[in-house]
Amino acid sequence: MAETAGRAAGAGRAIAGVALAGALLALGACGREAPAPGPGPRAAPVTVWAHAGQEAERRALEAQAARYNASGPVRPVRLSFLPEGGYNAQVQAAALAGDLPCLLELDGPYLAHYVWQGRLRPLDGLLPAALREDLLPSVLAQGRYRGRLYGVGTFDSGLGLYGRRSLLDVAGAELPEGPGEAWPVERFEALLERLAEADPDGAVLDLGLQLRGEWYTYAFAPALHSAGGGLLAPGPDGRLRAHGVLDGPASVAALERIQGWIRRGRVDPNLDEAAFASGRVALAWGGHWDWPRYREAWGEDLVLLPLPDFGQGSRTGQGSWVWTVTASCPHPEAAAAFLRFLLRPEEILAMTAANAAVPARRSAVARSPLYGPGGPLRLFAEQLAGGRAVPRPRTAAYPVVTAAFQEAFAAVRDGLDVAAALRRAAEAIDRELAEGGYGAEAAGT
Amino acid sequence: MGRRPPAPDPFPEEARAGRWLTAPALLGLALFVLLPFLGAVAFSLTDLRLGSPRGPSFVGLEQYRRLLEDPAFLAALRNNLLFALGVVPLQTGLALLLALGLRRRFPGRAPLRTLLFLPVVFPMALVAVMWTVLYAPGPRGAVNALLETASLGLWEPRDFLHDPAWALPAVMLTSIWQGVGFQMVVLLAGLQAIPRELYEAARVDGAGPWRQFLHVTLPGLRNPLLFVVLVTAILAFRVFDQIQIMTQGGPGHATTTLMYEAVRAAFVRQQLAQGAALSVVFFLLVLGLTWLQRRLLRQRAVLA
Repeated sequence: MAETAGRAAGAGRAIAGVALAGALLALGACGREAPAPGPGPRAAPVTVWAHAGQEAERRALEAQAARYNASGPVRPVRLSFLPEGGYNAQVQAAALAGDLPCLLELDGPYLAHYVWQGRLRPLDGLLPAALREDLLPSVLAQGRYRGRLYGVGTFDSGLGLYGRRSLLDVAGAELPEGPGEAWPVERFEALLERLAEADPDGAVLDLGLQLRGEWYTYAFAPALHSAGGGLLAPGPDGRLRAHGVLDGPASVAALERIQGWIRRGRVDPNLDEAAFASGRVALAWGGHWDWPRYREAWGEDLVLLPLPDFGQGSRTGQGSWVWTVTASCPHPEAAAAFLRFLLRPEEILAMTAANAAVPARRSAVARSPLYGPGGPLRLFAEQLAGGRAVPRPRTAAYPVVTAAFQEAFAAVRDGLDVAAALRRAAEAIDRELAEGGYGAEAAGT
Repeated sequence: MGRRPPAPDPFPEEARAGRWLTAPALLGLALFVLLPFLGAVAFSLTDLRLGSPRGPSFVGLEQYRRLLEDPAFLAALRNNLLFALGVVPLQTGLALLLALGLRRRFPGRAPLRTLLFLPVVFPMALVAVMWTVLYAPGPRGAVNALLETASLGLWEPRDFLHDPAWALPAVMLTSIWQGVGFQMVVLLAGLQAIPRELYEAARVDGAGPWRQFLHVTLPGLRNPLLFVVLVTAILAFRVFDQIQIMTQGGPGHATTTLMYEAVRAAFVRQQLAQGAALSVVFFLLVLGLTWLQRRLLRQRAVLA
């Protein structure tokens, strides 16, 4: 039993608890201010909220704010961190209370939801054209909704296949040189079987199955796209819909393949999150954030490869945290000034040196030791620049879309019927798109 | 309650003071339980979405109609019932056995009591993570390895938490392990409250251990047992933490529960109205259950 005391709770108590929790979160948010230099004597500071991610990332942002304030801006910034777990719920609670900061960090896929709620201001007039043209196409795609740019990240994410060269060589695998040469999925499956022959438990691949949550959508929607399917596409009337796409034959086939790997025992359940780093598996489906750990474990034996090609060419995930200016911000120009500062190539490089993410500007990519020519993570940058990265659907209904897909993928992972799981997900999504009051949403805007 | 004929109040002054003294608690209940619950009923009749710029519109009983068509809701209802039917008797029975065993004095009794009570102090989240690791699939998983050794190799390792037949029992076992200590302590206290003279009298009358248990222990434990059964049943309907951490309601809908579905609707899908409808159903169920239990057991004493 969850709790020991005899608390005979009804629904009312649950709701009351939620209201209280919301209030506490809002209070907590106010109290968590990072030690940044105080406001100047005259101008009121620009409030900035960011997620408290990894330690290194947080320190890098603190240092950036300090550098900016020391450079004598018209308005200094006051930086606050909110815990990453439940970040979106906290910001939503603050939004309901009319308490948003000027410059707000968001998890990329939720951007459309915030725009739909009327919380954000377009950045089109606030960032110079030269800067916008230097941004990776994936960064622009993620920040755009209904024809306008609302958010810009200083970095993007990378998704690929990590492998151990020595084991792959023994299995006789030819390593693809770039995203265009990704293994066709049939060859990938044959490789899994060959690797399994030399493996004590036969599990040779880590899919991050233990991660769940947003990882499922981020990591496996690209497989659907690579097969020619996907999550959403515009229907005959131009409105987004899941029916025929998410539950279409291509998507079903892609997930049936992945289910086959799990069924045959090729996938490590990875409950200890150490399957690849400890050497239990030869291949791992993973993101740029895994690189420091894997590099430390395997050194020169570590290779980074594109995800397998399910038929229409290899596809990958993208998207990360983005900066937005809120509609309620009284001095958007001052907020944008700090954003422009964060987007300077040297500041982007300072941040990506801390978190190993893909720099958001081409000029910064070129100078990055990880992503520049010959860099070990070059593949991630090539995938993003070469249009192989598929953004998660930009729709205000995203919370429902991702919840439905995650549930469907969990069913696939548990060996249930793939077509039925995807059909249920598509129905739930289409109903929400029709009823949620989101208006007409054209795809790819 | 409420069936007794109204007796003349011998202390009208104290009754007035009593009303004043209970006022703050009643106010709190009204403010934090009654009012939000009425809010939930009202929300459940709309199509309210969390943070939507569009105001809610009245949809009548549509949310409830959808629940009845939703396989996840029906599965949740079934799982909650199975969970309660499995956990309540097993956990109460086990707690009673432990309490009876620990009533005797023997060396090592105090540490054993502490050990058995320890899981109650652990947060459910911790217990759930621990058992997820114990249930690990393949021969390396602790539970699988234990069963394999115990069955002399006949046991085929399985993935308990992702197997539709095993997932719910596995979560139930975890819950029993975590909760049994609390009931044991309540029952131990109940046992200690039974006067020794009753046992002496029973022995003088020639009653053996079994008859002493039936005619002295059980009647003496009536109120603690009722309390334990009622609380366990309510908690069985509220089960959420284990599900969220161990199975996320899966595989399929094999382990989903009403609370889990309500939280997902309101906070993951932001469909607040649907979540409100679920919690109203949940409340009525718990209310009905409590009422039924009191009727069946003709409970007169006011518990807890």
